[in-house]
Amino acid sequence: MIGLGHYLILASILFAIGLVGVIRRKNLLMLFFATEIMLNAANVAFAAISSYHNDLTGQMFAFFIVAVAASEVAVGLGLLILLYKKYGSLDLDDYTMLKG
Amino acid sequence: MENILSVLIFFPLLAAVLGLLVDEKSIRTYGISVAAVEFLLSLWLWMAFDPNNSGFQFIEYVPLVSDFGINYYLGVDGISLFIVIMATLMTLIGIVALSIEKDLKNMIITLLFLEVAMVGVFVSLDVIVFYLFWEFSLVPMLYIIGAWGGEKRVYAAIKFFLYTFAGSLIMLVGILYIAYIYHSVSGVWSFSLTDWYALVLPLDVQKWLFWAFFLGFAIKVPMFPFHTWLPYAHGQAPTVGSVILAAVLLKMGSYGFVRFSLPLFPDASVAYIMPIAVIAIIMIIYTAMVAYAQKDMKQVIAYSSISHMGVIIIGTFAMNAEGITGSIFQMLSHGIVSGALFLLVGVIYDRRHTKLMSEFGGLASVMPKYAVIYGIMLMASVGLPLTIGFIGEYLSLAGFFAISPVMTLLAGTSIILGAVYMLSLYKKSFFGPVTNEENKKLKDLDSKELTALIPLVALVVWLGVYPKPVLVPIDNSVKALVSFMHEKAQTPAAKSIIRVSKSGKEAK
Amino acid sequence: MESLVYIALFSPLVGSLFAAMFGMSPKKQITGIVTSILLFISFLASVNLLMYVWENGPIHVKLMDWIVAGDMYIPFGFNVDQVTAVMMTVVTTVSTVVHIYSNGYMEHDKGFNRFFSYLSAFVFSMMVLVMSDNFLGLFIGWEGVGVCSWLLIGFWYHKEDVTRDVNPSISPAWAANEAFIMNRIADLGMLVGIFLIYWNVGSLQYDEVFKAVPSMSHGLLVAIGIFLFIGAMGKSAQFPLHTWLADAMEGPTPVSALIHAATMVTAGVYLVIRANPLYSEIPEVSYFIALVGTFVAIFAASMALVNRDLKRIIAYSTLSQLGYMFAAAGLGAYWVALFHLAAHAFFKALLFLGAGNVMHAMHDELDIFKMGGLKKVMRWTYIYMGVASLALCGIWPLAGFFSKDTILEVAFNEHTYIIWFVLWLTAGMTAFYSFRLVFLTFWSDERYKKYGFHPHEVQNYVLWAMLPLGILAIIFGWFKEDFVEFVIKLLPAYEMSEHTEHMVTTLTVLTMFIALGGIWVAFKMYSERLVRKEKVENSRIYKILSNQYYIPVFYERAISKPYAELSDIAWKEVDMQVVDATVDGIAHIIEDSGEASVQVQSGNLSDYLNWMAIGVILLTILAAIAAL
Repeated sequence: MIGLGHYLILASILFAIGLVGVIRRKNLLMLFFATEIMLNAANVAFAAISSYHNDLTGQMFAFFIVAVAASEVAVGLGLLILLYKKYGSLDLDDYTMLKG
Repeated sequence: MENILSVLIFFPLLAAVLGLLVDEKSIRTYGISVAAVEFLLSLWLWMAFDPNNSGFQFIEYVPLVSDFGINYYLGVDGISLFIVIMATLMTLIGIVALSIEKDLKNMIITLLFLEVAMVGVFVSLDVIVFYLFWEFSLVPMLYIIGAWGGEKRVYAAIKFFLYTFAGSLIMLVGILYIAYIYHSVSGVWSFSLTDWYALVLPLDVQKWLFWAFFLGFAIKVPMFPFHTWLPYAHGQAPTVGSVILAAVLLKMGSYGFVRFSLPLFPDASVAYIMPIAVIAIIMIIYTAMVAYAQKDMKQVIAYSSISHMGVIIIGTFAMNAEGITGSIFQMLSHGIVSGALFLLVGVIYDRRHTKLMSEFGGLASVMPKYAVIYGIMLMASVGLPLTIGFIGEYLSLAGFFAISPVMTLLAGTSIILGAVYMLSLYKKSFFGPVTNEENKKLKDLDSKELTALIPLVALVVWLGVYPKPVLVPIDNSVKALVSFMHEKAQTPAAKSIIRVSKSGKEAK
Repeated sequence: MESLVYIALFSPLVGSLFAAMFGMSPKKQITGIVTSILLFISFLASVNLLMYVWENGPIHVKLMDWIVAGDMYIPFGFNVDQVTAVMMTVVTTVSTVVHIYSNGYMEHDKGFNRFFSYLSAFVFSMMVLVMSDNFLGLFIGWEGVGVCSWLLIGFWYHKEDVTRDVNPSISPAWAANEAFIMNRIADLGMLVGIFLIYWNVGSLQYDEVFKAVPSMSHGLLVAIGIFLFIGAMGKSAQFPLHTWLADAMEGPTPVSALIHAATMVTAGVYLVIRANPLYSEIPEVSYFIALVGTFVAIFAASMALVNRDLKRIIAYSTLSQLGYMFAAAGLGAYWVALFHLAAHAFFKALLFLGAGNVMHAMHDELDIFKMGGLKKVMRWTYIYMGVASLALCGIWPLAGFFSKDTILEVAFNEHTYIIWFVLWLTAGMTAFYSFRLVFLTFWSDERYKKYGFHPHEVQNYVLWAMLPLGILAIIFGWFKEDFVEFVIKLLPAYEMSEHTEHMVTTLTVLTMFIALGGIWVAFKMYSERLVRKEKVENSRIYKILSNQYYIPVFYERAISKPYAELSDIAWKEVDMQVVDATVDGIAHIIEDSGEASVQVQSGNLSDYLNWMAIGVILLTILAAIAAL
């Protein structure tokens, strides 16, 4: 029987994968993917807990996240393309203009 | 005039703001008149002051943030009265003697702001208001040193600001802690000093608080080993900056000891007499030696200030009316004398653009008036009887003699070592043949400089010969302070060391 | 009578202020005249007061309050009793003469007006010193005379510093500072004495203090006695604080006569005499004072034996005579000390003024080896100095005989035979060096011609002005009986034992014998012509004596230089390298830590994300720990 625990473990693993991606990856596109994975990990957890409690709020929230993620991807990818056009790279190591 | 104290604070403030509108040409006249009016107002304060009343007078009380017990609460007693008058006097003299050309308007406005802060510090009876003025006084001085100073002015100004600021922050923690204790004891917030006087603190709390306040005051005084900002500040500051710094700003520290440390923490003060006395003696002897080693005339006087402040501290911690009265009188004396000496150094700096004693020699032949006034101030500085310098020094040492004869003997070396560095300064600069060609045609004091210096000479002699009008109000308040401390003290050691004078007892 | 007290006290001050008004202008004869007249008025008032006190006893006046703080109450009170009246008369007599004399001596000096201002200010301070009715008032005068002495020693401040070989006093400015600082050392001792009195008596008024003396513990009295005596040692230049007095000869000669012979240096003796109720209670301290005095008497006389400097010889002689006074006071014969003080003031001032005449004639040359035979051109000066020297040697019937002989009798009477012997020996040395000076200056071959000097006698009025001192140097001793009768109303009467009474004639003969012997030796050696013996002058003992036992050099090497070096270390090594460096070090640590941590701000988003992750994890762990 697949219980709440399994879902939460899956969500944690997904989140961890996303986190490692955020930490390790240098390519902005990959960072985007990693954040998406983390968002979706949250979605899985929301949906699972929502069904466990018989409370729709969680699932509703999951839709919100999907919507936010989609708009974020739209804006973000647009910015990335501009960035790539201007500097010819998406590697974070090439962007250190904010160095203190 | 019921609210003379508010007038004393807000008149220069208003004048400073209005000064922005005055044009550059007439700003000197404007500054002098404002400072003169302020000085006359402070003299009026003295005239209206009742010398037989030892408590606070001219009290003003306006609630500001009553939920937190912060009020606009002012008052003067004999202890603060004369320091206020000295602050207004030295500002006036400083403005009269101003010799800078650059940004004169800014300088005068800054000085007026500084005057607000100085008067405010000495008349505030609410600790938060006191603290505001205390910190506010740093800003104009920072600006004066930083904008009109010498080559290393930025370093000196920042050192002055950060060092004294760090000390006052620790004092602020102490202030808040007392307020917290007061709240937990009485259930209401209060920052009024007179409320705090009634608060009896346990000995171990007193000890911690004593050191918190000590750091704030000691850096300001400055006491060894927190004194190193002073030579830089004096070395770089323009003449007027040094005059005000030495005459008034340093007194904020020693005044703090009398106003806060002694009455708030009588037991801790008594417990720490010895360590403080040791520091004071180091200040007296060690800085006198450092002063002797200096090559720059202004630095000699800067270090001599520290040495003299040591005598003031010794007197403050004598825990009897003789010593504390003496130390307050010595604050006035040091203010007037060191202020005058810095003015005198400024005079020669204006002419020669150097302060190195090796550049001078034989000035007495070229500038006789200058040499005479310098000589009088020098004698006052080494504490010659019948000059202002003797009375404070004598009373401070006499007072501390009741605590420890041996330490008084060590502190008394100030009369020897003071003579050593001052006379050697005088010999190097004024005696001997005129060796340097550039010195042969120096002009003697002009009328502007004489106007600034002669009142100070008159004061030095008058208060040396007849100090009674000043000494009696101080003494009355100090006697009240001492008997208050005696009553408040809890430990038997403190009770026996705080010596209530006989005449004070009778008056009660 | 009150007004007389104030006239005597304030006339010199008025004169000083009057002269000070012209301090920076060129010479104005009026300043000299006005100050002299005011001094004469002060003198008349003092004599009047002396008469008054003689008949009616002491006067006490209070001008106003000075210091009122705590329980300390110090008025400006003045007390004219027998001792004060004597001191006032002596001070004003000598001062008046010196003022008139200075009109001639300083005739061509640029600082004429300034000089009179200082000189009168000195007299005022001295009057405060002797007239005050409390210890702190005495201290005002005490410091006041110190400052005037500083001003007057350094009067020719424009002279350059030279090495000790050229001029043992280095320069007037140097000598002035030395005198002031040495006196300050002693003054600290005196202040401590004053503090001790204050905290144990509660007052500094003489009468109250002396009333309380019997009730004080012995140890306390000893402490007070010692500290007050330290003060006296500085002002009266007793060993080891004696070096300043010889160097003080850099000042103009009238100053040496007035300050460094007749008045200021006797202030220490005055203090001991004044505090006699105290010192009578502590015989051990008194005996120590007598020993110090005796030692200084012979010590200073020995240095005078070989010196070639006209003024320094007289200065050492002053030192030696001060030793006699302390010996007398220490042995309990206070009136004898006071008597010698007065007699000494007259003949020593005369001697110095005579020396001033010689200097004037010799264009400020001081080396007696370059003089000789001056009696032909300076007859009156010769007579004055001869009389003064005879008085100094204690030859009957001049003033010195009566006072000095009595001191020797006292020493004998107290059975302190060593003191007696040393003082007796010193009497011989005194006679020798005094007449060595007289013979080398006024007799013997006219060596000055070789050096191209054209000496001449001083103005007549200057010689007339010296006359009162000349007369007093001769006749003062004849009034011994009256003097004793007068002062023992206040001072303890000192009676010789019967045994001493028997021996008086023998003692007198012995003293006369050694004094005349000293003169005879000087006569033999120097009256014909100056014979310099290489062997003697190169001998070790001669060198030691002429270098003042190397004490000034020792002070310089052991105190002045180490102090200067230590000061330099304190500034450069300690203050800059340790104290200030610590402060700056703390600032640097804060700054460096900022510099170091700024690397975190790499600008690389990836690094930031890593830090964020670390932060999240740490916070999570913290939260977990907190939850547990």
